[in-house]
This record gives sequence, structure tokens and C-alpha cells, in this order.
Amino acid sequence: MKSNIIQGVCLVLLTLAGVGIALGGSGYYAQTLFTIALYIVLALGWNIISGIAGYVSFGQVGFFGFGAYAAALAMIHLEVEWYLAAPLAAGASALLALVLGGIMLRLNGIFFALGMFGLARILQITASSLSITGGPMGTTVLPAESPNESALIMVLVAAGAILIVHALSRSRLGLRLMATRDDDLAAQSSGVNTFRAKLRALCLSAAFGGVGGALYVWNIGYLDPNSAFNGNIELQTVLMVLAGGIGTVWGPVIGGILISLIGTFLWARFPTEQQVILGALTIFIAVVMPGGLTAFFEKLGWWRRQPIWSPPPAASLKPAPSPRTGAAADEHSVALSCRGLGIRFGGVTAVDDVDLEARSGEMLAIIGPNGAGKSTLFSLMSNYLTGSGATRFGERDIHGLKPYALAQMGLARTFQSSRLFPSLTVWETVLVAASSGRVPRQTAIHITTELLRETGLLDHWSEQPDTLPPGLQRLLEIARALALRPKVLLLDEAMAGMTLHEIEQVHAALRRAMSGGCAIVAIEHVLPAIVDLASRAQVLDFGRIIASGTPHEVLRNPEVISAYMGADYEGGTQ
Amino acid sequence: MWITIINLLLLGLLWGGVYLLMATGLNLIYGVMKVVNLAHGDMIIVGGLLAFTLFSAHGISPIIAFPLAAALLFVIGVVVQFVILERIPVKGSLGELRTLLATFGLSYVIANTSFLIWGSQFQSLPFLQGSVQLGRIALPQALVAASVLAFCAALVLHLWLTYTMLGKSVRATAQSGLGAACCGLNSRLIRVITFGVGAALAGAAGSLVITLIPFQTTASGELTIQAFTIIALGGLGNYMGALIAAEILGIVEVFTQYYLGSNPASAAIYVIFIAVLIFRPQGLFGKVGRV
Repeated sequence: MKSNIIQGVCLVLLTLAGVGIALGGSGYYAQTLFTIALYIVLALGWNIISGIAGYVSFGQVGFFGFGAYAAALAMIHLEVEWYLAAPLAAGASALLALVLGGIMLRLNGIFFALGMFGLARILQITASSLSITGGPMGTTVLPAESPNESALIMVLVAAGAILIVHALSRSRLGLRLMATRDDDLAAQSSGVNTFRAKLRALCLSAAFGGVGGALYVWNIGYLDPNSAFNGNIELQTVLMVLAGGIGTVWGPVIGGILISLIGTFLWARFPTEQQVILGALTIFIAVVMPGGLTAFFEKLGWWRRQPIWSPPPAASLKPAPSPRTGAAADEHSVALSCRGLGIRFGGVTAVDDVDLEARSGEMLAIIGPNGAGKSTLFSLMSNYLTGSGATRFGERDIHGLKPYALAQMGLARTFQSSRLFPSLTVWETVLVAASSGRVPRQTAIHITTELLRETGLLDHWSEQPDTLPPGLQRLLEIARALALRPKVLLLDEAMAGMTLHEIEQVHAALRRAMSGGCAIVAIEHVLPAIVDLASRAQVLDFGRIIASGTPHEVLRNPEVISAYMGADYEGGTQ
Repeated sequence: MWITIINLLLLGLLWGGVYLLMATGLNLIYGVMKVVNLAHGDMIIVGGLLAFTLFSAHGISPIIAFPLAAALLFVIGVVVQFVILERIPVKGSLGELRTLLATFGLSYVIANTSFLIWGSQFQSLPFLQGSVQLGRIALPQALVAASVLAFCAALVLHLWLTYTMLGKSVRATAQSGLGAACCGLNSRLIRVITFGVGAALAGAAGSLVITLIPFQTTASGELTIQAFTIIALGGLGNYMGALIAAEILGIVEVFTQYYLGSNPASAAIYVIFIAVLIFRPQGLFGKVGRV
């Protein structure tokens, strides 16, 4: 609350200062102000896709130029005013992003960054080859009446942009984007449609670029391919976000103001060396202070990101009825059944013709030595891998369904090695799963609070996962999976490396889930960890089921003993 | 008709050799450090402009400028790796982002420093302007010379990597940095040398290319993309793949230029680049190239 008030006051003060300069300042001041506000909008836009969503782009200037041309053409040929041309340009850029994003977002890392760079260059070449855009000589439009007018509008747009990004950072989409940035696969397993989230982020950031381009062309009344797709705009935008703090709301604003002022100063004093100095500054920041100024403030304890949708204060917590309805289907009905699952990697048959059934309210243990194919079997069951055979979830054949869709339907899984989201808090980690799909906000908050309390993690709700001891990290992962309110839960060696106390906590959480009707399939190396919970066990060796029955029967099976101990083990069962 | 096509094919193959040298440095650096040097194109241009100055001011032939440019860029590369990139941990997503941004900034520093030295106009180096006649087929002498030199340089690099102890150490570090370090190799030194050699190859390529096409300090982005397209198409870190990719690119570019003109030819490289990313992200011969 307090942080929101401070941020609000900052925004109002900045906007008032901007409006004051725009109305009362000379033309020179107004132009400088216009540039700063324009760069703030561009930096906020770049930060959405590259900072919050984690897809670094070196072609964001493409959306700026595309928006500028869209606005110029609309003003010339449709004879619309700037206030119509700007939203049109935003829409045009967002539409372009929608089309391109469908293809480009399948790439990642350097491939995405350079692919976007290439697209911006293609747009530039196109703009200088077409006659409608005026070719290489460019085109003119009716400019703003005075620099003060355009500066005023730009300041208001920038304030609006800050508000939008602030809202985004507090929203479900923002949460999903940060989770996706941290670990795409874990986000999918938490029920996040990561591709759609990224596509939305790209469209939004393109719209920011488009508005910036439209107001830019309206401000100077002239546009040519070289200035519309100017690489220096890209450099400055990237530098601003880096300097201020990538992935934050205020970083691009602070960086935008700071770098614009430095850029303007350098331009006045060292016009020819300006680019060299800005480039060197980029290197310096990348090497020495990658988190920018906000990371520096964070270190000093002046600032810290507020978790999204914090838990209700302890007093108002009432032990409400369990939200886990619907899952309480008939006792011991088949929740998940697999027939003939198999997959080959080259000449290795990792999983071979495996049948299994998971029943509501029961635990099925899958045990087997190292390399038996247990984790691969899980990946087949939850569609992370595609092999042969069929899996039915309830009444439904899940063939071809995406992992995030399965997670939303109630097929949850954990991973053998912890896959938590390093930049999210404990609270947010569980909330990602609890708020997946269309779960209402209050329900999601309720589920998350309850789960954290049950697992004893509520005291740590505002901490980062990497500050927790390993056992609590695994517990957190289980809590995240349970937040999907699963009908079936696949646990992949969830209890490895836990203390006895932690195992008890996990057992309690699993018992609660099972009493609510959840079916659990647990992979374990060491049977004693789950022997009390499991009602049935199946043993996997070299990809095949070699024994099934109750856990105690299975342990006495000679084939199982030879698989674990070697064929000539004569020790028998103790 | 057929003569034209054969002529264009030969031109394309010769250009392919030049493109290969332009891409080899990037490939080497990527192979060892998994870093894409976004300043690669700028390094090529610096090498070319150095050859230009040596030729126009002192009358030194590009054949001599070729090793000099390589030496200068080797020093620059060593300094860059030692002062900048060694300080950024490559692990994790933020590490990748930081190296990208650092070389992105470096690209601006180099481009604009050379802008301060050489100005913004196109510079060209007229050298060996005759043509080699093979029956009715005419090939520019400069292109033939540049291509032969480029192939030689690529061959020397290949021999260095395959048969010398240092070259083997570089390859070991490329395949597993940790494993190489466990065998007692000084991986930091190897990274510094690798970056130096990669930059030297860029400089050497530049001193050849400027005899073929005029250079401008701001045109580096296209060269970087061109080099990256070749190594992405060939499969990142795959030298044989890069050779074939460079030849394909050379032929495609010569034909587009001849039949469609220069604007489509400069767009062609980006179109191929994006098509490669979409349809063959693992390259023609490599594993999936995910950095």
C-alpha cells in the first residue's frame, strides 16, 4: 500500500513537472522534454518483451518505424488527425507483432534478438523501395503546431505508459511472464500458456513502439527510412533500460531520464564522440552493474519489488471450507490410465509397453534402479514427450494436448531436479499455479494461503526460493503442483534429500490431497520414503514393468531383488 | 544464357570463399565461448579500412595489409576478451544477455571510433582490376585473388586446430570447458587467444573484402548478420557446414544481384537468415542451435 502511494506521488510529480515545462518552457526545452518522454515510452516497451518476458530483441526499432510510417500514411491518405493516427499506429504495430510473434517467438536467445534485428532491416529496405512511403527521400506530414503541444502530449502518453506497465507488473499476465522468463517448462507445468503470454507481451511492447513512432513523426513532420529505423534509437533504448534496471517498472523511467540527459549533454559538448561514449557506457553497465540503478537501490535496501497479490493479513484468515471440490470424485475410480506407453531414443528403448492405472485417493509408487526410465515415463504420461501408446485422463484421451492444458485440467507434475522460479517469491511461485487458467483472484489467493500454511511455508512467503534450504524448496515445488488442485499428481523423486521432519510435512500434505480425491503417482528410488502412503507399487527396469502389487509384495519379488542387487544376490529378504 | 549462368555460379563460389572467411572468426569464437560477437562486422570493417589507409596513404598492397590487419585485430580481440568478456560469467540467462549487450555496445564503440577516423563516406580500394578470362567466362582478378587467399586462411586455421597442441586445446575447450580445465589447460588463456584469433580472422577478411566492395563504417550490421547467417545455416560451431552454407549464400546473392538488383539482394540475406531460423534452427548439418 505504502509503496503504491510513493509510486503514485512520484508519477504525479514527474507528470506535473513535465506538463509545467511543456506549457511554459522554450522551444528547446520542450523538444528536449519530448525526446525524454519519447524514450521513456520506447524503453518501457522494450522492457516488456526483453525485461519482463526475457526475450531480448535488437529490432524493437522496427515497430517504432512501422508505427511512424503507419501514422504518416494515415495522416496523408486517410487525412486523419494525429490523435487518431497514433492509436492506429499502435494497432498496426501490435498487429505486425502478432503476425511476426507467431513465428519469431519459437526462437530464443540470440536467434530471437538477431532475427528481430533482421526484420527491422527488411522493413527499412521495404520502406526505401516503395513509392507510397516516399522511397529513400521520405515523406512529409503536417507537424504539430508547436513543440510545446507535442511535448505536452508526449508527457501525458509517457505517464499513461508508466501506469500500464505498473498495472502489468501487478497482473496475472505479468506474473506469468516472469515465471516463463525464469523457467518456461516449469511455467507450463504450472498451467501457464507460455506462448500466448509471450505473444501478448510482444504485441503490447510493439504498440508502445508504434505510438512512439506516430508521435515522433507528428512532432517533426518528416519521415525517411534512415531515421525511422535508426539503430541509434535501439542502442539508446537498450542502454536506458539497462542503466535503470531491466525487468522493473521504474528502471526504464529512471534510465530514460538519465540517459536522455547524458545523451543531450554529450550531443551538445561532444557531438562526434557521443555514440562512442554511449556504446562504452553500455559495455560498462553490462559488465559492472547488470541490474542497473534499481538493483543498486535494492542492495542499499531502499527499494524492493512488491510481490503480486500479497496474502491477506493473518487476522482475516479463517479456516474456510476446502476449495478442492469437484476433485472429490468416486473413491478409487480410475483417474489416469496408460496403455502400452513406449518411446525409443535411437537404438535405446527407454520405455517399453508400460501399462498403469492411478486411482483417486490412492498412491501408486513407481520404483526402479537408476536409468530404469522412470522420469521418461512421467514425461510420456504428461505429454512432455510424444511416444507410442495412449493415456486417458478421466474419460478423456489426452493425446496431443499441451502440457499447460493438462496442468489446467488437473494433471500436475513435479520435476526430478528442482525447477523453481528464481526471481519470484515463495508466495508468487505457488500463486502462478493457483491462478492458472481462469481461476478468480480471490480463490487463487485463498488456495495459495492455505497451501503455504499447510506446508509451513507461510512464514517465508516473501522470500526468494533460493534462500530456502533444499528440503523446503522441494516442499515448495509440491505446493506449487498442489495449487493446480490436481486430480492426478505425478511426483518425481519429490522426497530425495529431505530431512525426516520435512518428509513428514510432505506426507501430511499428500494425505490431505489424497483424502480430497487426488490420485498420486510417485517415482521413488528408495521405497521406505513412501511405503506407508502407497497402496500399490510397480517396479520398472530397463523400461519394462517387472513386478506389481502391494509395496511389501513387490519388495519380496525375486526379480526385483535381482534388478536392484544383481542376479547372483543370495541374501534373500531380510 | 548458359555461359551467364556458369559465370554467375563461378562468381558465387568465389564469393562463398570470401564469405567463409568472414564467418569463420565468428564460428570459432562461438564454438569455444558460446558467445556471439555482435561487433564482428565492425571488426571486418576496421580491417578493411586499415588496408584502405595503408594503400591510399602509403601505397602498401593489400597482400601485405592482410597479415597487418589480422595482427591489429588480434590485439584488439585479446584486449576485448581480457578486459570485458572475461568479467562476465556466461552461465545462466542473464549471463548470455550481458555478453550480448556488451558486444552490442562494443559494436557501437568500434563503429563510431572508425567513423571518427575514416568518416562516413564509402571507401574503396582499387586493386587487381583486370579480369581472368577462361574461354568466354570472365572473373574479376581481385575476387579470384581474395577467394584463394580466403580459402588458404581457412585451411591454415583448420590445420592449426587439427594438428597443433594449442589448436587441439582450443577444440577441447570448445567441446567441454570444464573437461579441458580438468586436464590442466588454462581455459582463460585459451579463451583470450581464441577471441584474438577470431577477431584476427575478421580483420583479415575485411582487408580482402574492401578490394571487392566499398566499405562504410555504418554498414557493419549487415556484415554481422551475414556472418551469423552462415554459421547458423551451417550449424553453430560446424566448420564444414559453414563452408557449404557460405557457398550457398554466395551463389544466392550473386544471382539475386544479377537478376533482381541490389535492393532485393541486400534484403535477401535477411530473408534467408529468418528462413533459416524458422525452418532449420539446427542448421543444415548441425544440432539445434539454441544459445
